[in-house]
Amino acid sequence: MIVAEQKPLEEIARLIAPYKKVLILGCGTCMTVCGAGGEREVSFLHSALRVGQVRSSDSGHEFREYTVKRQCDAEFMDPIADRVREVDAILSLGCGIGVQVAAERFPDTPVLPGVNTSFMGAVSELGVWDERCAACGDCRLAETAGICPITRCTKGILNGPCAGTKKGKCEANMDIDCAWVLIYERLERLGQLEKMRRYYPPRNFRTIPRPRRIVTIAETELGEANG
Amino acid sequence: MHSIALDAPTKTSFDHSLMPPCQAACPLHMEIGEYVDLIAQGRIMEALQVIRAGNPFPAICGHVCSHPCEESCRRAQVDSPVSIRALKRFAIEFGGDRMIRLEAETTRSDKVAVVGSGPAGLAAAYYLRKMGYPVTIFEAHSEVGGMLRVGIPEYRLPREVLDVEVQRLTQMGVEIRTNTRVVSLDLLFELDYRAVFITVGAHQSLRIGIEGEDSPGVVDGATFLREVNLGLKPPIGAAVAVVGGGNVAIDAARTALRLGASEVTVLYRRNREQMPADPTEVEQALEEGVQFEFLASPTQIARKRGQLQVTCMRYELGEPDASGRPRPVPIDGSEFNLRFDTLISAIGQAPRVPEDFRLRIGRGSTIQVDPVTLLTNRRGVFAGGDAVTGPATVVQALAFGRQAALRIAEYLEHRYPLPPKETVQRVNGDLSATTVEVIRKAHRLDPKLLVPEERIRDFRPVELIYDWESAIDEARRCLRCGMGAEVLFQDQCATCLNCLRICPYHVPYVDDSGTIQIPADQCQACGICVAECPANAIVLRKPRDRRHIDEELDHIFRSAPQSPVEPLIVGFGCQYGLFGTGTLGGLWRRAQAGIWIVPVLCIATVEPEHIMRAFEMGAEGVFVAGCGEQCARENTAFWLSQRVAKVRKALLQLGLEPQRLQSFNLGASEEDPVTTLDRFTQQIGGLRLALALQQEVKS
Repeated sequence: MIVAEQKPLEEIARLIAPYKKVLILGCGTCMTVCGAGGEREVSFLHSALRVGQVRSSDSGHEFREYTVKRQCDAEFMDPIADRVREVDAILSLGCGIGVQVAAERFPDTPVLPGVNTSFMGAVSELGVWDERCAACGDCRLAETAGICPITRCTKGILNGPCAGTKKGKCEANMDIDCAWVLIYERLERLGQLEKMRRYYPPRNFRTIPRPRRIVTIAETELGEANG
Repeated sequence: MHSIALDAPTKTSFDHSLMPPCQAACPLHMEIGEYVDLIAQGRIMEALQVIRAGNPFPAICGHVCSHPCEESCRRAQVDSPVSIRALKRFAIEFGGDRMIRLEAETTRSDKVAVVGSGPAGLAAAYYLRKMGYPVTIFEAHSEVGGMLRVGIPEYRLPREVLDVEVQRLTQMGVEIRTNTRVVSLDLLFELDYRAVFITVGAHQSLRIGIEGEDSPGVVDGATFLREVNLGLKPPIGAAVAVVGGGNVAIDAARTALRLGASEVTVLYRRNREQMPADPTEVEQALEEGVQFEFLASPTQIARKRGQLQVTCMRYELGEPDASGRPRPVPIDGSEFNLRFDTLISAIGQAPRVPEDFRLRIGRGSTIQVDPVTLLTNRRGVFAGGDAVTGPATVVQALAFGRQAALRIAEYLEHRYPLPPKETVQRVNGDLSATTVEVIRKAHRLDPKLLVPEERIRDFRPVELIYDWESAIDEARRCLRCGMGAEVLFQDQCATCLNCLRICPYHVPYVDDSGTIQIPADQCQACGICVAECPANAIVLRKPRDRRHIDEELDHIFRSAPQSPVEPLIVGFGCQYGLFGTGTLGGLWRRAQAGIWIVPVLCIATVEPEHIMRAFEMGAEGVFVAGCGEQCARENTAFWLSQRVAKVRKALLQLGLEPQRLQSFNLGASEEDPVTTLDRFTQQIGGLRLALALQQEVKS
C-alpha cells in the first residue's frame, strides 16, 4: 500500500492562499488506511484550516469536503464534476498518483497536493508504517528470503551485509535492523544458507525507463486467436 | 408471547441495536438496557419514564419481580449479574413515581369486565383503559390486588405501593367493585359488558393427601397468607412447620416468624438446590432463623395433647423426573416424628373456577384458552393470569394482562388477531473467553437489608433502597449488550484494520471474504473504534447521547453570548456516574462563567474533529474531562490522549498555544477539580490578554 503523511498546515495554508473556494478531496483507499487523507482527515483538516483562517484574519476561503473511493481512477471522480466546477482549486489528499489523475480529469482546475507521498509499505504495529518495496521492477525476493535489500538496506546492496552491520542494526541508523542480518537469519531458518554464498551482480538502475508502463491488452485482430 | 408496548416512546433516532438478553427474558420486554444506562448517568427521572413506558405497575415489580432478566444477564459470565430489579426500585423511589398522575379518556363505548383484581386483571384494565374502553374490575375480596394483596407478605410488597397503583387506575377511570363475587358471566353480558376477562388466579391450595391433613392446626399456605394479609392474626403457637419448597412456603415460614412463632421449620422433600423458591428469599429466611429440613416430607399427621405429631419420611434423590429435577425417592423405614403447634402446607396451588362460568377446564384445573386470541370456549370471554397458566410470577401476569388487553381490543373492533412478530434481532451467544478476560471486574452491589432481628419484629420492608452512589455504580456495570459498534457503511470501509487493532476487547475480526466483522454479541460499546475509523464507516448501533456532539456544539455557539471579558471555554464532559451529575455539574456551575459543557457518554466518543470544531467556532480554550478510574471501559483515556496530542500538534502549526487544549481525568488527581479548572480558565484568560496586548502593540 502507498503510505503518505499530511503536509504541515502552514504549507497547506500557503498552497491554498490564492484560491477562494477550495474542495478538500479525500481518498478512500490507501490514504484512508494510512490515516493521511480519509474522510476523517478531510473533515479534521477542514476544521483546522478554518481555525487558522480565524486566527490569521485571512477569512477569504470557503471549503467543501468530499472523499472518493479512489483518486487513482478517474471514473470515481465523475460524480464530483459539478462540485469541482464550483471551486477554484482542489486540495487533494490523495497520493501523488491521485493528485495527477485528478489534475488530468479536471484540466481546468488547479489540483494541489495535501500530502507528501512517502513510500510503499506496511503497518509494523498500530500507527507505525515501514517502507517495504522500492518498485524496482525486478523482484529478487526469492533469493533474499522474502526480505528486500533494495528497500530495507540503507545502501540497497545486493551482496550483504556490509561492514557497517552492528549487532543486527545498521550503522547509519541504529534504530533500523540490518536487512542482511535479517536475510541471513531467515535463510538459515529456511535451510537455504547457500543463497548467502552466491554472488549477485550489480543492477543497473539506469536501465529503468521512466515513466514505466504496463500493457495487459494484447494487440489482436478479430478471429486471430482461433489460429 | 411477545407484545408491543402500547405506550413505547416513539424513536426517530437511529437504532440498529439488538435486543439484549435481559429484555428478551423479561415477559414485558422492558427496555432494561435503556433505563439502566440512564441510571448510570444519574438521569433518574428519564429512567423512570422508560420504566413506566414498558410496565404498567413498575413499583410493584421493583419490589417483587422474579427478575428473569437477571437470570439471563451476561454480566454473570464476567462476575455477577446486574441488580436490575433493585435498580428499578431505586429509579421509582428517587424518580418521583408517586407523583405521577395518569389520565385516560373514554373514547369507546364497549364496556369490558375484568373478573379478578390480581396483576393480570389490573394490567388488562390499565391497558384497556388507555385505549379508551370503559372498564370495571370485579373483586370478590374486600381489597384489590389478588395475590399481590392476599398472597405476597407485606415485608416484600408494602401495601401503600399497591394502593398507589390502584389509586392511579381509579384516576384513569377504571371502576373497581370490591366485595363483589361474580357468580354468572351471563349476568355480566346482560349488564351490557361486551367482553369479559377472567383472571381469578390460583388460590386453591393443593392437598398433600396424607392422613390427618384435616386436623385442627393444619392450614394451607394460601389461606394462611390470605388471613394474615387481610389483617387477621391466626393463632399458630410457637412451633410451626411449613411443607413445600416454593415461594409460598418461604413466604409462609417468614410470615409465621413475624407472627411470633419461635421455631419455624420448612420440610422439603428435595434438596436446597432444587427448591423452586427464589434463592435470595431462601437466604433471607435462613438469616431470620427459619430452619430447613431437606429430603423430608410428612406422611401422617396426628393431633396429640394439643399439638400435632407429624410423622415424616426421609428421601433420597433419584433419576430426573418430567420437571427435570431429580425425583425424591422415599427411604424405607426412615420414619421419624416431629411435634408442631401448626403445620402449613404449601405444596402448590391451582385455580378454582366457578362451574357456573361454564368454561372449559384443562390440566391442573386451569382455564383453557386459545393461545393466540386468549379466548375461552365462550364468546367474548377471555382468560389469563394464574387461572390459565397455573401459579406463575407477577411479571408474567402483567405481560398476560397486556396481551389480553390487545386481544380484547381486537375482538371488540372486529379486527383479525395479529400477535406482533418479533422484528428485533436478539443478542445471542455467550461472551468469548478473551472478551471476558479484558472486561474490568466489578462485583454486584446489592441494596442493604435490615438486620434479621429487626426484620422479624414486624412486616416492614426487608430490603432498603440503594443510595444514589451505589445505584449509579451498580448501573455502570451493565455491558450494554447489543448496543455496540457496527460497520454501517461497508462500501466506505477501507478495511484498514484499525478497529481490529485498537479494540481493547479484541472483538472485530476479518472474515473469509476479507470483510471486517464486529460481532454484536461481543462488543462492549466503548466507542473507541467509532472515533478512530479513518473512513467514518463505524457507528454505534444505538447512540446514547441526548444530542449528537455536533448538534450540541451548534447549540452552544448559538446560545453562548459574546463576552468581551470572559473567554469562551468548551468542555467535553463524561456524563457517566456521579462524575457527570455531581462533580462535573457542580464544577461548571461553580467555575467562572463562559464555560460550556458538551455532555458526552464517555470521552472515547470525542473525536479530534469535535475538538477542532470547538476552536473553529470560536472557543479560546477546550478541555475534555473524563471520569478517569471510574470508567467502566478499557483504554478510553489512552485514546483520548492520542487525539489530544493530534489536535495540539495542529494548534501549534496554526500558531496557537497547545495548552489551549487540556484533558483532565478528574477522578485520578488528588486536587479538587474546581481548582484545576479554575487554573485552566485563568490560563486561557491570560492568553487572551497577551493576544490583546500584542495586537495593541502592532497597531
